[in-house]
Amino acid sequence: MLAPVSWLKDYVDINVSPEVLAKKLVAIGFEVEEIIYQSKKVSKVVVGKITQVAKHPNADRLRVISVDIGSKVLQVVTNVPVEGGETVAVALDGAVLADGTKIVKGALRGVESEGMLCGLEELGITVDDVTGQKSGDIVRFPEGQKLGVNALEALGYNDVILDVGVTANRPDCNSIYKLAKEVAVALKTDCREPEINYVSTGASVKEMVSVEVLNPELCPRYMAGGVRNVRIFPSSQRIKSRLRAVGIRPINNIVDITNYVLTEIGQPMHAFDRRNLKGGKICVRTARDGEEIVTLDGKKNALKSSMLAICDAEKPVAVAGVMGGENSGIADDTTEIVFESAKFARDSIRRTSRALNLRSDSSARYEKGIDFASQEYGLKRALTLIYESGSGEIAADLLDVKVDYEKDRKILFTTAQIEKILGCKVPRGTLKSILSRLGIPVEDNGKTLVACVPDARDDIVGVNDIAEEFIRVYGYSHVTPTLFEFSALTKGGKPAKMMFRDNVKEKLAAFGLHECVTYSFTSPKFADRLRIPADSPLRQTVNLLNPLGEALSVMRTVLCHSMLEVLAYNAAHFNKSARLFETAKVYLPKELPLTELPEEREKLVIGMYGDDVDFFEIKGVLEGLFDTLHINAEYAKSLLAFLHPGRAADVTVNGINVGFVGEVHPDVAAEYDADCRMYVAEIDLETLFGQYAEGGSFKAFSKYPPVERDLAVVVDASVPAGDMVKAVREAKIKFLDSAEVFDVYCGAQIGEGKKSVAMKFAFSSTERTLTDEEIAAEMKKILAALKKRVGAKIRV
Amino acid sequence: MKEKIESIKSVALLAIEQATTSSGLNDVRVRFLGKSGEITSLMKLLGTVSKEERPAMGKALNDVRVQIESALDAKTAVVEESEKQARLAAEAVDVTLPGKTSAKGSLHPLTLVREDILRVFLGMGFSVAEGPEIESDLYNFQLLNVPKDHPARDMQDTFYVNDNFVLRTHTSPMQARIMTTTQPPIRVVIPGRVYRSDDDASHSPIFHQIEGLAVDKHITVGDLEGCLQTFAEQMFSSDTRIRLRPSYFPFTEPSVEVDVTCAICHGKGCRVCKGTGWVEILGAGIVNPAVLEMCGIDSKEYSGFAFGLGLERIAMIKYGIPNIKLFYENDVRFLEQFN
Repeated sequence: MLAPVSWLKDYVDINVSPEVLAKKLVAIGFEVEEIIYQSKKVSKVVVGKITQVAKHPNADRLRVISVDIGSKVLQVVTNVPVEGGETVAVALDGAVLADGTKIVKGALRGVESEGMLCGLEELGITVDDVTGQKSGDIVRFPEGQKLGVNALEALGYNDVILDVGVTANRPDCNSIYKLAKEVAVALKTDCREPEINYVSTGASVKEMVSVEVLNPELCPRYMAGGVRNVRIFPSSQRIKSRLRAVGIRPINNIVDITNYVLTEIGQPMHAFDRRNLKGGKICVRTARDGEEIVTLDGKKNALKSSMLAICDAEKPVAVAGVMGGENSGIADDTTEIVFESAKFARDSIRRTSRALNLRSDSSARYEKGIDFASQEYGLKRALTLIYESGSGEIAADLLDVKVDYEKDRKILFTTAQIEKILGCKVPRGTLKSILSRLGIPVEDNGKTLVACVPDARDDIVGVNDIAEEFIRVYGYSHVTPTLFEFSALTKGGKPAKMMFRDNVKEKLAAFGLHECVTYSFTSPKFADRLRIPADSPLRQTVNLLNPLGEALSVMRTVLCHSMLEVLAYNAAHFNKSARLFETAKVYLPKELPLTELPEEREKLVIGMYGDDVDFFEIKGVLEGLFDTLHINAEYAKSLLAFLHPGRAADVTVNGINVGFVGEVHPDVAAEYDADCRMYVAEIDLETLFGQYAEGGSFKAFSKYPPVERDLAVVVDASVPAGDMVKAVREAKIKFLDSAEVFDVYCGAQIGEGKKSVAMKFAFSSTERTLTDEEIAAEMKKILAALKKRVGAKIRV
Repeated sequence: MKEKIESIKSVALLAIEQATTSSGLNDVRVRFLGKSGEITSLMKLLGTVSKEERPAMGKALNDVRVQIESALDAKTAVVEESEKQARLAAEAVDVTLPGKTSAKGSLHPLTLVREDILRVFLGMGFSVAEGPEIESDLYNFQLLNVPKDHPARDMQDTFYVNDNFVLRTHTSPMQARIMTTTQPPIRVVIPGRVYRSDDDASHSPIFHQIEGLAVDKHITVGDLEGCLQTFAEQMFSSDTRIRLRPSYFPFTEPSVEVDVTCAICHGKGCRVCKGTGWVEILGAGIVNPAVLEMCGIDSKEYSGFAFGLGLERIAMIKYGIPNIKLFYENDVRFLEQFN
């Protein structure tokens, strides 16, 4: 809401600076987003008097003039045909004009110029903003104007405008008058009422038009007034400049009056040309399907039966509360007008405006909500302005079709209740006086109080609202901070699953990975990119109705797509390597379209690239993680199509698939515009959470020396090393602490299709030093197991 | 023989004196005192000396052996010390060369800030909960006192899935989810992702909030202020102050915006706080009794406070991060700064 201070001053005396006023408004709940000084629209443009005019030595069309700006006399080169003696606006060296142009002194055709003469356009204003100026000319001041002062100030363009953020509970304050009332409360002073003063002449408005409301639930009140012998002319300078100050373009006296009243009183108004109201009738009804109307913006709208229309005897002449029809608007030859001042249901206006994609200042105002008192006040204010400006003769009487409504609402309360909410002492007298200054009279019944809340404040429905009205004026500084003074102790704490996730994240960071956070929505193309099979449930996505773009339109069912994008982004931004992870949710609908909440499942994704990164590094991170979580994972060759066919593994824990790890297929990497090998792993954290074991229990270790033995065997090249370790583990070898593969070798000596695998075994006993014979016996068993399970032969 | 002994002695002592390395000294030791060394050889010849001369010869020989040995030991100690010094000197390294480190990973700044905040509230007896991000209109709006077509819906630009489901626009729906399933006393904080269809220089369509909710028999604005004051002191610094400004949210009444004294200038006024000395960090209020009732809690018996704060904003203040987009680009050069 733009509120010119000069306009507020019509109703309230303001004797403080705009900055102080802004602070006081903020303190009672009206955020001032900006203080706009009209005179600061340009800088270093001042009033000067032309004292001398000479011809330019090198150019016929230029003049060299002397401009007295009080403190000194400047030499200016100009093409304006001045004669000398004029008082003008001159931009000095370093001036910044309204369009951002900076003025710098310099030579013009060989003669030094220290400034530039300005017209209204350079100052960013029009003839509607100020008096006594012409468009297309330089600014000319009357004789005697003080020299050297800010030219905009001298033009009288020096208002200060507050941009006030009005919260949704206070729609009434989207008006100068109601805001002035709040200013009066903030400044502890009184507020005057906008003047209502007109004389009607001639026959009743009933002779001009009749009003019928068929849908009172959508239009609880409809008032109309009439004006005869209308004259259309431009509004007064005062009205034009005020409208311009709040961002409304002046049009003519009648249209300007409706906009003026909307701004000042907050009541949307509409003016119909009476000759276009067929049958002399206004009928407020829902449209018939198929009815159409061309609105004032030239747009053709197909109306629906859910939309409220203002109709004459035959057809719609306005979309109620949204925009008038071209067929009934004010023209230069309009002689009789009917003013509409109505209350429409806000949700109806909101739906209609959105359905037709038609917005106006009126619809914006109606959507926020209008109280019952405004219609009459607004209409009478409009007629006052007609009367004052001599725009026509006002018909006697007003038409008023309305439902019954309560003028005020009674709220019973006690100071103790208010104190219990606020936690501070509430002085009874102060409470009553604050409420009454806010326009809420209070009856004191000794023990209890009764607030009489006017209809305009439909945001006040209970004791909490009364408490807020009091404290926002009294000041939160009266509240003393306490820490649950009257409350029970609670034990607090984090759920186990969250602690598990924290643990995973801390471990991965300790392994040298950086945590990322990516968007939850992505492009629908992710499924094709990741070669997800056509029948996979991962292609069933929750889609947004109003996404910011296709690339952000579906809720992801996997994390690795986002990770690959992040890797590619980093690779393209001078980062030689990256080791990253993210824990986040995927969104898996139970059915589509959505009728119940989808499953939101927590996943972990790890991604890496870089010259020193390989499959075993990313797998090592997974192994390290599982190790710290006391989880035994198994890895088997994966068939996932978006991964490298020879460098990808499915990961299982206790027989349950928990995800995959692998190198991204080069074709897929290319689609992500990555010219590097990318490695990715995605793990289901929810499954992992079900499988992990907290900590571990102590196991005694031996005080006797451990014994290590190596064994090299030859197997088929296709035998996975993991199977060999597994074979040994499952062979019930006595004293065995560990079994691992430490070298794999292929070569001519080994033979085609074969490989040599070197394994290391460690044995120990907690009771004694093991003998060579005991170890030899176990090694024999190991070899036997390897022979049996993977066809191993001892390497000779 | 006597001359022989004297001659060996002077040769040996000279050799010891001239030796400069421990291996040279060892050679001397072997030459004179070794199994077939010159002294040892003479010892073996003692048998050939006459009975009368033998004791004197023996003693003389032994004296010389002792002298050679002690000279050897003394010289060895000197040589070994100087050799050790030489070795240490040779082993010197440039201590300004970099050390061997393992790679340092990092948690995202939003995680760090989130955990900092949770820690403060855990200390005040709050538990932590999380909730669905795809949320029903009922919980996201209606139970929070925002009916369909209410103007307050314009306060938040909502992503819709269909008429009944949205991407939650705030963490507040979890207030309703908790209040409809839990009896007071309730004290809970709810971190999570939220969504608004707003994407410009200072907005991200996805951001993070932490919601707080306390419901009990007698909760006041004073408790809200005390709780948030404690939070501000622990999160920023012990001299941080807060102030409450009246505001509006449909689900709280009274509602406030909460400012903290600027962490950069400590309230003096700077670029971050736009010269005001205060930075807005969260919205809060007393739970609207209408919300309590809709959630099945008797508003005559119970009251509560709620607050919601934006993690990105706190992280930007805390770390001096200039642009919200940096959180979601995931450039390694950004992430690695938070280890």
